[in-house]
Amino acid sequence: MAGLATHLPAYLIFSAMLFSFGLIAALGRRSTIGIFMGVELMLNGAGLNFVAFQTLRAGVIANDNWLHGHIFALFVIILAAIEAAVALAIVLRTFGTRQTIEADRADELRG
Amino acid sequence: MTLVDVFVAFCFLLGGVAAFFTAFHPNILYAAIALIGSLVSVAGLYGALGADFLAAAQLIIYVGGILIVILFAVMMSEDIYKRRFFQDAKKFVVPAVAAAVTFAGFAKITLSANWSNATKPDFEPTARAMGWALVGPYALVFQYVVVVLLSGLIGAVVIARPAVKMRQLDEELEKMGED
Repeated sequence: MAGLATHLPAYLIFSAMLFSFGLIAALGRRSTIGIFMGVELMLNGAGLNFVAFQTLRAGVIANDNWLHGHIFALFVIILAAIEAAVALAIVLRTFGTRQTIEADRADELRG
Repeated sequence: MTLVDVFVAFCFLLGGVAAFFTAFHPNILYAAIALIGSLVSVAGLYGALGADFLAAAQLIIYVGGILIVILFAVMMSEDIYKRRFFQDAKKFVVPAVAAAVTFAGFAKITLSANWSNATKPDFEPTARAMGWALVGPYALVFQYVVVVLLSGLIGAVVIARPAVKMRQLDEELEKMGED
């Protein structure tokens, strides 16, 4: 386990695991908020990838010190914040019209 | 094995367990609380990778803001305490298979690549460099994100307006048309 903190594949495997658990939650959860939590997990996994590559492979990716990975991870966080606002609006609206936030029950358009 | 290695291992463990409970816990409230664990562990890993600004932003935006929103939305879920573990396990079969295939693909790519020529990380404060990058090479992307944030917030306000008020507005508009 020595050198784990600078071992890039460990971070990549961990973020792949976060992404996979997020995928399970996003596809398998019944409630809208559970799906949203899965998407948050997936975004976190992707953001961690950016930062791990920036810190441990910076010289291989680009020969400047603009911290590209950090900037992209910051944009991921900002987009997650926007997503949270829109998701809460959708949850509020769904609850207002149907008295439930179960995604399976929003089936008015089913043929 | 240094202290940082132990901290990173702890973050991996905490994040993995918390992500498992986020995906599988039948009680959505406990799943949201487990999500806090995973987000905090990612913030810790940002710190271990030398991204001090991102670690702080992760804690402030995710744990402080988004988690509040999620816990607020959890209040609208119904009978969250009645569900059992693997009660509707059938719904998780296809997602679990899809996620297992995805994870196997990522793991295969990661482990088959050659990571030998890694760079030595240098740990310096990043806030200043990120600020310069946001007004330098990333100025246009930054403006784009600002516009997306604004339109997303306006869209959220429009969506969240109560339906009753919309109907009243429509009726008032019709009345104005008749007059």
